[in-house]
Amino acid sequence: MAPVNDQLPIVYTIRGCDACVKLLRKFQTDGIVFEERRVELSQTLMDEARRYGDVVPIVVWPDGKVEQGFEGTLGCFI
Amino acid sequence: MPQATTAITPARFEQGLAYADFVAQAAVNRDKFELYYNDSPLSADDISFFRKATALANGPARILALAEAWCGDVYRELPTVARVAEAAGMELRVFLRDENPDIMDEFLSNDGKSRAIPVFVFYTNETRYITHFTERSAGAHAELAAITNEVKLQLNLPPEATFATVPESERQVFLREVIKRITPRFPQWRKESIEEMRALLSAALRLPNRG
Repeated sequence: MAPVNDQLPIVYTIRGCDACVKLLRKFQTDGIVFEERRVELSQTLMDEARRYGDVVPIVVWPDGKVEQGFEGTLGCFI
Repeated sequence: MPQATTAITPARFEQGLAYADFVAQAAVNRDKFELYYNDSPLSADDISFFRKATALANGPARILALAEAWCGDVYRELPTVARVAEAAGMELRVFLRDENPDIMDEFLSNDGKSRAIPVFVFYTNETRYITHFTERSAGAHAELAAITNEVKLQLNLPPEATFATVPESERQVFLREVIKRITPRFPQWRKESIEEMRALLSAALRLPNRG
């Protein structure tokens, strides 16, 4: 569960999820460095993401704050 | 909606995955597909209706599903449709949404803006389009909207508030409360999906909606 680099936000995504793609674009535009964990590729990562929330994208910030969804969208249920 | 020239020919339909093969190739959620397959919301009346529909000369013989294994709506709905296909003798073929954009483009929702899944398309034996169902029932969408409004009241948010417009400090509370309230409704939403598929077929085939 611990981030690989605990100074970086961890972003749980599914690349087929429009809200996830929008969040990734915004982070890249804003120059936010992050670690992406693609939950559609691994049951282990899927289970890990579910410990933080019910919809992706999920951002786990280094201070422990957790955010689900992105701006105007609920995100994708996982 | 299906276009005049459709990507779904009989030969293309055959290229879809059988349900068991779809589940076997899934990188995630195989346990969820098994769980929901074994917990079918189908009633005897439902099965009787789908069998009557299939028995019609112009009735459904094939179901095309657009799906991805990571999607919660897919693992809640697709196993039920697999059960329908088995019980009524229909051929189910699953197409991965992100590998079949030409098919997905024929069934976009939200005024052509959304690639919502699952999509279940009913065809005749000759692969002629009959009707299709997308994502969730109209009742589920309405309930989601109603719950969202209830949460706005609870949090003293203005009626016009959306996930996009609420202040960041309140957005996560808003979202978590909506999720908390809709999650217990999922079993009922699964039943309503079946009811809506029945209604769609009943209207398209002029078949009384009873088992």
